[in-house]
Amino acid sequence: MRGIAKHYGSVAALQGVDFTLARGEVMALLGENGAGKSTLVKILAGLERPDSGTIELGGHPVKLRSPGQSLQAGVAYVTQELSIVGALSVAENICLGGDSRAIWTAKRLADQVRPHLALVGLGEVDPAMPAGALSLAQQQLVEIARLLSRNARILILDEPTAALSDAEIEKVKAVVRRLAEEGRSVIYVTHRLGEVFEIADRVTIFRNGRSFPPVRVQDIDIDALIEHLLGRRLDQMFPARSGNRGEIVLSARDLIAPGLATPVSFDLRAGEMLGLAGQLGSGAAALVRAIAGVLPRERGTVLLRGRALRPDSLREAIAHGIAYCSDDRKRDGIFAVRRVVENLTAPSLSRITVGGLLSRQRERDIARRLASFFEIAAGRFASQAGKLSGGNQQKVALGKWLGTEPAVLLVEEPTRGVDVGARAEIYRHLRALADRGLAIVFASSDNQEVLGLADSVASFFRGRIVRIVPTEQLDEAALLRDVTHPAALGVGAEP
Amino acid sequence: MTTPVADAIRHLDAAAPTDARAVSRRRRIAIGAMLVAIAVLVGVAGATTPSFLTFDNLLVVIRNASITGIVALGMSFVTISGNLFALSAEELAILAACVFAWLMHAGFGLAPSLGATLLMTAAGGAVQGAIIAVGADPIITTLAFGALFRGLASLVTGNQNIELGSRAAVWIGTGRPLGVPTQSWAFILLTLAAWFALDRTRFGRQVVLTGANRAAAAASGLRVGQAALVGVTLLGIGCGLVGISAASQFGLAAANLFGGLDIDVVAAILVGGIALAGGQGSPIQAALGATFIALMQNFMLLHDLSTGVRMVVVGCLVAAATCAFHVMQQRRA
Amino acid sequence: MSRRAALRDLGVRAAFMLAVYLAFAWRLPSYYSVNGIAALLDGAVLTGLVAAGIGATMLAGEFDLSVGSLAAVAGVIAIKLFGLGLVPAIVVATAASAAFGALQGLVIGVLGINSLVFTIGTLIGLRGVALIVAQQNTVTVPIDQLADTDAISLRLLGVFSPLSLILLAVLVLVGLFLGYTRWGREIYAIGGGRNEARAAGVPLLRPIVIAFTLSAGLAGLAGALLSMRSGSASPLGFDTVLLAAVTTCLIGGIALSGGRGNVLGIAVGLFTLRFFITGVASLGAPYWLQNLATGGLLILVIAVQLLPGLLRRAGTQPSAA
Repeated sequence: MRGIAKHYGSVAALQGVDFTLARGEVMALLGENGAGKSTLVKILAGLERPDSGTIELGGHPVKLRSPGQSLQAGVAYVTQELSIVGALSVAENICLGGDSRAIWTAKRLADQVRPHLALVGLGEVDPAMPAGALSLAQQQLVEIARLLSRNARILILDEPTAALSDAEIEKVKAVVRRLAEEGRSVIYVTHRLGEVFEIADRVTIFRNGRSFPPVRVQDIDIDALIEHLLGRRLDQMFPARSGNRGEIVLSARDLIAPGLATPVSFDLRAGEMLGLAGQLGSGAAALVRAIAGVLPRERGTVLLRGRALRPDSLREAIAHGIAYCSDDRKRDGIFAVRRVVENLTAPSLSRITVGGLLSRQRERDIARRLASFFEIAAGRFASQAGKLSGGNQQKVALGKWLGTEPAVLLVEEPTRGVDVGARAEIYRHLRALADRGLAIVFASSDNQEVLGLADSVASFFRGRIVRIVPTEQLDEAALLRDVTHPAALGVGAEP
Repeated sequence: MTTPVADAIRHLDAAAPTDARAVSRRRRIAIGAMLVAIAVLVGVAGATTPSFLTFDNLLVVIRNASITGIVALGMSFVTISGNLFALSAEELAILAACVFAWLMHAGFGLAPSLGATLLMTAAGGAVQGAIIAVGADPIITTLAFGALFRGLASLVTGNQNIELGSRAAVWIGTGRPLGVPTQSWAFILLTLAAWFALDRTRFGRQVVLTGANRAAAAASGLRVGQAALVGVTLLGIGCGLVGISAASQFGLAAANLFGGLDIDVVAAILVGGIALAGGQGSPIQAALGATFIALMQNFMLLHDLSTGVRMVVVGCLVAAATCAFHVMQQRRA
Repeated sequence: MSRRAALRDLGVRAAFMLAVYLAFAWRLPSYYSVNGIAALLDGAVLTGLVAAGIGATMLAGEFDLSVGSLAAVAGVIAIKLFGLGLVPAIVVATAASAAFGALQGLVIGVLGINSLVFTIGTLIGLRGVALIVAQQNTVTVPIDQLADTDAISLRLLGVFSPLSLILLAVLVLVGLFLGYTRWGREIYAIGGGRNEARAAGVPLLRPIVIAFTLSAGLAGLAGALLSMRSGSASPLGFDTVLLAAVTTCLIGGIALSGGRGNVLGIAVGLFTLRFFITGVASLGAPYWLQNLATGGLLILVIAVQLLPGLLRRAGTQPSAA
């Protein structure tokens, strides 16, 4: 790929990137979120079209305008969202959309798919069993098997090990190596530096929309990698920290939940912001959800203002003063078809109700207060929330919780899908909230965000907490190392 | 905010779509279109059909519109809460008529009969609502209950006509305080009440938000089950009122008292422009839709169009309205 | 659900069916006499054919509410075309229904609209068409030609009649189609995971059109056959077949969400329902009670399906609800 450039609006996702891939090679793509690696990969997969640049496969120029064309050209893209139909058998899933013969007998399909299954290490699996009964990792491998059966020569694996256990990760790594030995090429997108050294031949690093020339893995070490990955950003994005601390508001003791491999304990004071740094599958998000009551707690306790918080449901948590914002506002953060006003007052209906009736006055007051705090223009009140820009939507998703006057705000990915300018605003607002006494816990895969915003940082890697320290004790390189390739895993001193 | 970044952001925001009235637009279009359509229909009917603008005929139309409308109001709560339709409305209304007639015939007196009937229909709605609230499919559930209600109606009447034998009851069905039929008084009052409930009460807001995005409603701490439960219960009460009115009007009740109510109500909701996905719309749209449907039925009837032709017209209307609104929605997205 | 679990599930349903049968057979000798069994089989034809069709749409994650009206239209058409001969009339009526079903499927698939609501519209419209074609009346075969319909009521091989043989043939064919052909598996795919199937490259239009063609065609076949047997067709008839077919599918394990269930289950559900209804009727219940019984059974099935979810939630599992 030569000279690939892609703009989204006025934001340059890729600026003149050159990328090469050899046959039978495993190329790792590294870079923080927004650096451009996902965009490049999507262009190759036919999901996006470049504004400029050319693509050549095997020396021939190609146009990859759609996923179909991409597949025809032999490019296969495996994402986090699997396209496995659980109700159908493994063999049927592999043949879906590809096999053009009319009669599908279990025996014929099984014979057909066995070689592909063997290639991905699933030789022991019965092709006739329902795909839904397989583990996530196995399903992922089935998806790879399907793409292989369509003669994919280039496989793009996007964070394939994010949600997998150690044993499953080994399987995936073995498959990747085997594929490369077969002569196919693999583009391996990951944030786990260890994996890069374990299976990649070369690595291309992305930063701020540009890429470094690929380096052979044997010619580089961790420190050099980390140095390349660190980018420069606007420091004025983050507001100054203040020292106001109140009493301890939230405590976790030996908390274990799905996604957390070791117990987590911490104390959080009023006015304090705790940032949970970690990538997909690290446990940072799991911790937030466990405290909120969205994920079941397997062990441990959570104390809110000294009293045990034992919510069996989100409703109870909210009633006790917890506010929880998930990472997917479209799914459950905003009511897209309703007005902004209604969105802002949704969790605090009891506060605007007088005798069963909604008080327009109170609703307007609360909405105005929230909107002014979060700098949402009052003229937007009557707009459908779904029509707002990403930044404003996120402000609505966050802002609505203020109305419940919570004690603790739990947020996942506070600025996902938000442009740079709105991010600065949101950071400012969150700090202002903390200054007013709110305790905030936020999980973020953006290290810059954590370092810039939080008072204390807890870093996570693969379900284990690496350490919890005041932010001053960490620098960018150290945090990056923590979340991608920590030297030792253990719980650090509490702030 | 004085940094260049902040200014740039202001520009970005300014560029973003700012239709301040976006939400109401769909509703306004729907209501406006409805009013125009009704006006046009009345005009055309008046011009082409001599018997349309007669006093007796207008009375019939207003009564029918009210009957369809009262049920449509209840149905609008079901649709707006995201539960599509309850296909048991007609059967519940018939059951109400039969129960009311039976009670009256047995000598229980007007007030107790009214109360017991309404209680029964509320319970009938509540049971369905409860089952839907815990996750059952609304269409299948109400389909099943429809059969149940119809069977119960046959049971209550022993498959015969039951006569009410009460003059007071007859007034309920045929009286015209100030010249306006009782049903229409009820219709107007209930329309206002329904609109008020949805727009101004906490419960109404919960219904709307649950329909708009059930996951977000749950995440905001709202009781999402309640929306379904109360919605179908209100529909049940509406069916009860209509059943009582019908029994009173005819002076008797039978298991096959009337038909076509389900059809007209569904058509009213769709033609009125209430979104099938839920979370949008107002009972007023349902009321206007019901009025339009009643006018259309009357118009067709006066032109001697057979039952079959009328059904085809309504069926096409439903199918066309579904397609049209869906396509409009897609274009917006 | 793994293979073994699926077999176990089917076994439980079959056991339930057997239990219902025995419960009534104990009181009704007709349940095991040759005539009685023949009657049971014949009585299952209407619901069975329609259930096979509507089951296909449910497997695809859709729904066809118009089956009752389609059967009525087909019945009226068949009787009206009786002059063409017994078999040709049935064939034409079935073909017309299938064609309409294909059209429905096309509209639903291309526009991507909610099949539930769309078929409410066609349910109404088709009923009107039936009324128009029949000119508001029940149409009957001319008395002098009535004997020609006797072929339908023949008894073959002891307990079978042409109708029940057709039913069995249809069940077998549809079952083979859904289970062993690419097109059939595609129907399961789009029902079991619409987005996943699309991402895997399955075309959406074809399986949807096939499913709706099946449901309409089979409903039409049922309507035509039964009208021929009785020698008359009412445009308002077949209004309870939708409920019976849906109940059959649900008892048989077809999931409303799509992608789960099979024709074997539909057959089990079919006979479970028929044993129950026929038994209730034979014990002296009036005609209208049958529909009530079907509705009650459906509610029971719905409740039973909800139970595991409710129990899980009532346990100590926290949820976001």
